Amino acid sequence: MRRFNSQALILVGAILFVLYLAGVPLVMLLYGSIRSAPIGEPGAAYTIQNYVKAYFEKEFYFLLLNSIYFGIGTCTLTFLIGTFLAWVSERTNTPFKKLFVVMSLIPFIIPGILSTIAWILLLSPKIGLINIVVKGLLGLESAPFNIYSMWGMIWAEAIHLYPLVFLLMSAAFRNMDTSLEEAALTAGSSTFATFWRITLPLMRPAMFSVLLINFIRGIEAFEVPALIGVPAKISVFTTKIFLAIHQFPSDFGLAGAYAVTLLVISTTGVLIYGRITRREERYATVTGKGYRPRVIDLGVWKYATLAVSFAIFFLAVILPVFVLLWSSFIPYYGVPSRELMDKMTWANYHYILNYPLALTAFKNSFYLSVGSATLVMLLTSIIAWVTVKTKLPGRALLDNMTFVPIAMPGIVLGVSLIWVYLTLPIPIYGTIWVLLLAYITKFMPYGIRAASASMIQINKELEEASLTAGGTWFQTFRKVILPLLMPGFTAGWIYISIIALRELSTSILLYSYNSTVLSIMAFDLWEGGQYTYVCALGVLMVLLLIAMAFAARKLGARLGIAN
Amino acid sequence: MADKRDMVQIEALEKYFGEDKERVHVLKGVSLNIPEGSLYTFLGPSGCGKTTTLRCVAGLERPDGGRISIGGHTVFAFGERVYVPTNKRPIGMVFQSYAIWPHMTVAENVAYPLTIQRRSKAEIRQRVGNVLKVVGLDGLEDRPAPKLSGGQQQRVAFARALINEPKVMLLDEPLSNLDARLRVQMRSEIKALQRRTSITTIFVTHDQAEALAISDQIAVMHGGKLIEIGSPHQLYNRPKRRFTATFLGLTNLIDGKVLEVDGDSRPGKMQTKKGILSFIPAPGLKKDQAAVISIRPENIPVHKEKPQSLDNVVEGTVKEAIFMGDAYHCKIAVGDDLLAVHTHPFNAISPGDKVYLHLDPKSCNGLPAEDTEGVDESILGD
Repeated sequence: MRRFNSQALILVGAILFVLYLAGVPLVMLLYGSIRSAPIGEPGAAYTIQNYVKAYFEKEFYFLLLNSIYFGIGTCTLTFLIGTFLAWVSERTNTPFKKLFVVMSLIPFIIPGILSTIAWILLLSPKIGLINIVVKGLLGLESAPFNIYSMWGMIWAEAIHLYPLVFLLMSAAFRNMDTSLEEAALTAGSSTFATFWRITLPLMRPAMFSVLLINFIRGIEAFEVPALIGVPAKISVFTTKIFLAIHQFPSDFGLAGAYAVTLLVISTTGVLIYGRITRREERYATVTGKGYRPRVIDLGVWKYATLAVSFAIFFLAVILPVFVLLWSSFIPYYGVPSRELMDKMTWANYHYILNYPLALTAFKNSFYLSVGSATLVMLLTSIIAWVTVKTKLPGRALLDNMTFVPIAMPGIVLGVSLIWVYLTLPIPIYGTIWVLLLAYITKFMPYGIRAASASMIQINKELEEASLTAGGTWFQTFRKVILPLLMPGFTAGWIYISIIALRELSTSILLYSYNSTVLSIMAFDLWEGGQYTYVCALGVLMVLLLIAMAFAARKLGARLGIAN
Repeated sequence: MADKRDMVQIEALEKYFGEDKERVHVLKGVSLNIPEGSLYTFLGPSGCGKTTTLRCVAGLERPDGGRISIGGHTVFAFGERVYVPTNKRPIGMVFQSYAIWPHMTVAENVAYPLTIQRRSKAEIRQRVGNVLKVVGLDGLEDRPAPKLSGGQQQRVAFARALINEPKVMLLDEPLSNLDARLRVQMRSEIKALQRRTSITTIFVTHDQAEALAISDQIAVMHGGKLIEIGSPHQLYNRPKRRFTATFLGLTNLIDGKVLEVDGDSRPGKMQTKKGILSFIPAPGLKKDQAAVISIRPENIPVHKEKPQSLDNVVEGTVKEAIFMGDAYHCKIAVGDDLLAVHTHPFNAISPGDKVYLHLDPKSCNGLPAEDTEGVDESILGD
């Protein structure tokens, strides 16, 4: 029985920590939503008043409709863009297709708030660059596009979210057994009939799950609804929760009721998604070999697909990046012109770097990003060892608990953590520590996915060889498992540090002056109308992200397998 | 039976896999003793429990009953809740996949058992150098592990298992991932290495030819039970169990009933469909018992004319004769049965020939028709 002593402390500690992170906010959110008064106030009692207030208001149904409209619009548009690019790069002979694979992923690295700001700067009816240019060219009276509309919101969200669809659909195209299609062809079916009767049904589970995950992401989105929806008076759940807390006095109970509603919607989505993907994986184990996809010769049409792909790339990457860069170098926002070009300046960067809070925000964001990515990956590596390598009873439950926060929209997590740390006697509310715990909770699901996937690939004998060579569990974990896990660890680390650096929807409910982070600073500058400063800040953020990703790659390669 | 010179003692080992309804009984009371300095093989078809037994000795599996001791120290005792963890047992192990850590060089892999004991750099360098010389890999210290061939990986695995001077080496099908030619070469190298170091070695394999070639002693296992223990010579030429006779090499079985038996040193007589045949009885064989005669194809001389003054001669017709170079492999119909017979390559023989087979009583092993449950102490080797 002594075998377990050395590892017991670490394992039990990690498991309890996960249970705390995933379980307590849920419980406190439910508790908070049925209390009549804010936390800590005397005379608070149990009540269903918050739900009555939320559901019996006409506004609730507008919220619901708007959220669903926005979610469906977002998932449909991202699906079309992402699937088209995936199809082009995996199944056609379009020229330069490998180039798109890399380039289509660029929006990943641009924080959502920056991409939203870029699209406002491009499509705002008053100052939007595209509007001004098109108006001038066609001699129009009014602006042809209005970002401050439902369609504007859907566009700004979709053009930012499509890379995930691209990745998932590429994998689906790649994993499909082409012999299934070839069998249909040899059975006399035409190319079109094969696509309709074989390819499409085979892809259906993948397509449905991709649509669903993007619907959930649309419903959970905060940046676009806050920056575009609020001025346009189009409310969705996330912004409503935010406003309920940011109004004076804050209505925590109402925010809680809305948050629980949003949580129920997103959890349902995640559960259905989990069910579909699990079934998909079952299919995948039967046919999950490395197939060479059948490439379709498009003939001259390949130039059409090339043109469309380039147009997407232009809209998703070149335009937003250009407008951010351009705006960061000019003294006031305007259409590129000779006159403005002469006035190009570093002043915005000077301003940002001398901004009183900027240094704090850079430091906080950097610490939070590196800290949460490292802690999440260490924690989930241990959890993945338990769930993959041991036969411990309850390991499936542990796996699920680590995954629970994926169903929690950022703003909901924020509301929950307000309740937790205003109630529990842990004095970290308003400090950077509450943000760190929030980030760890929020990004645990990404970490466990990366860690489990790598852990499964580590042959059990590699670990046993260390034990038979006299290594303790801890030595084995440190010297054999962690280095072998390094590729997955690094990939997960990079992903988490990137999304942590741009996290807004949870932080915005939990930050204080001293724990300001970069995305909050960008949000505040934008609210203050200082567009050119925001762009300079945004450019610096992206540079920091790129530098961190590079550093992580280098470090990961040195620690792990060097290929 | 336990002896002070036994390095590993295994008593009544029990092991189950799975939970509840899917519980499978994989080790059913396995007991054996492994003499110090010997090369001892667990042989059996897949699923027989040989690897599980080895992993229990390593401490990688925790048995559900029984006792194991290594070098006189109990490392596992079910009733007394003794369980020495793997990393505290005096063992070295070579895995089927070799388990060479891909993130380390050859030297780092081999040095690992010393590194985690925090030995000095100088000592590590010297001992790694020595052990790499022993396995014939000197000069490859700084080669990254993924850049090794299969044979080299195996040598690294051996070096890593040897470096800590273990009391017992555990080899889990170490040759199964090599190509046929390398397998034969590594087989003799393992044997030579074991002779040189005289480290007690347990070798697990499902390949009977490998087991015969390499072992001092073989424990034949089947269905989670020990079937028979003996030297390769004993097991091949004088098997005491039907399973041993059929699993090791090729054999012919002739059903019958014991007519006469007197101990196991004098020939007995058996009634078969081919008449009354003389045989050497396995221990414990009784009169009137259902039995089989096992005789190997290479032990059956073929005569064109009926030989006079010989016992156990049967008449047959050649159905098939395949020239293999070193022998003719024949199928000869005797009554309703086909017997496999290997004849000398000069002894030209063709289908349709009428021949006489001499089933020499010295080559006929009389075995119980069924392998009974449990293992009779009397046949557990010596």
